[in-house]
Amino acid sequence: MTEITPSTEKRDLRPFLDCAMEIGEQMLVCGAEVHRVEDSVRRICYAVGAERVDMFGITSSMVLTVRGADGKLYTQTRRVTSLETDFHKLDRLNRLSRRICSESMTVEQIRDELDAIGRIRHYPFWAECLAYVMISSSFALFFGGGWQQAIVAGVISVILRFVVELADRMIQNAIFSKFLCSFVLTALTFGAVRLGLAPRADEIIIGCIMLLIPGIGFTNAMRDIFTGDSIAGVLRCLEAVLGALAIAGGYYLFAFLTGGGAI
Amino acid sequence: MTFPEFFQILVAAVGSIGFAILFNIRGRRLLSVAVGGGLCWLLFLLLNRWIENEAGCFFLVAMLVSLYDELMARVLKSPTTVFLLPSLVPLIPGASLYYTMVGAVSKHQADFLARAVQTVELAGALAIGIIASTLIVRIINWILALIRLQKNKNSAKK
Repeated sequence: MTEITPSTEKRDLRPFLDCAMEIGEQMLVCGAEVHRVEDSVRRICYAVGAERVDMFGITSSMVLTVRGADGKLYTQTRRVTSLETDFHKLDRLNRLSRRICSESMTVEQIRDELDAIGRIRHYPFWAECLAYVMISSSFALFFGGGWQQAIVAGVISVILRFVVELADRMIQNAIFSKFLCSFVLTALTFGAVRLGLAPRADEIIIGCIMLLIPGIGFTNAMRDIFTGDSIAGVLRCLEAVLGALAIAGGYYLFAFLTGGGAI
Repeated sequence: MTFPEFFQILVAAVGSIGFAILFNIRGRRLLSVAVGGGLCWLLFLLLNRWIENEAGCFFLVAMLVSLYDELMARVLKSPTTVFLLPSLVPLIPGASLYYTMVGAVSKHQADFLARAVQTVELAGALAIGIIASTLIVRIINWILALIRLQKNKNSAKK
């Protein structure tokens, strides 16, 4: 597989194939639907001169086989483990894949652009904490809580942000992280209510639960099921249901440990 | 529109902005997500006056807001997913999930089951709403492609 294609007309597909897979993988990590990932990779490969493209992806793995104009088959598999929703990156990746399809870019250009996308920063930590406060406080109010509940929910959500960080460092597992967060959240809320900081626990917990609910998995699952990627859709759906069960589990554990007395 | 209702729309929009920050959405897209979140609850409050069934309302609102998101995706040239989740957040049945958990811990079986069914119903309505909008967009795209094809044929004849 090391020989270089002699023709000057045809481009060597392999480096492009690698770029296409890189783009696809990054898109999947950033929170795109499987359908979009498959479609983008397919379009890129056709744009750089492939004759036949077979792309299959699920949420955790991707397989791509391409037949070039020279009749040679190239294949690549990628295992996707992480998931870090970043729509700004996704947006840039999407634009890059469109650009590759509309104008002929060299491999170096694509790599440069990918490097630039890789350097995109998230909002800083304090902004994320602020976002947590915005979400939990506003949903505590949204579901009928008073200002005391909104404040307590805001304070607890900042603590939760640190718990998420801790859980990510200990064990990289979204289910475990949700379980731990749910447990801490319940304990802190009932503690606060016991201390008389807020009249009722319900709205505080609901506001903070909105942070943990696996919404991104759920919405993407629905879109994937409909667009024909039913395996990916069902997998995502299952992950969302497991996430919801983990939240319930954390709450249940606290109720069990306190003998249901606090609740 | 009473003040509490207006306030609820406002906090829904703030919650949507919060999620948009977590998902690293910036600039004009952030604004359109906030409008989507507010729109979500405004539509719900309006539709709920005529439609008693909560799940039915959720379905219609999810569909309309998803269509708004599809529109914004085309205007701002971003994938639809970017707008979809943050703007639909007010419809996520967090409250009924919580009351399901409370029901599971307490000894009232009937209460637990009713709440669980409600949660599944609302999540299902949200899902079908999203799917319905995807379907509508695909049909519109198909019709637009047909029209374009026809135009090309006509211009080729000339």
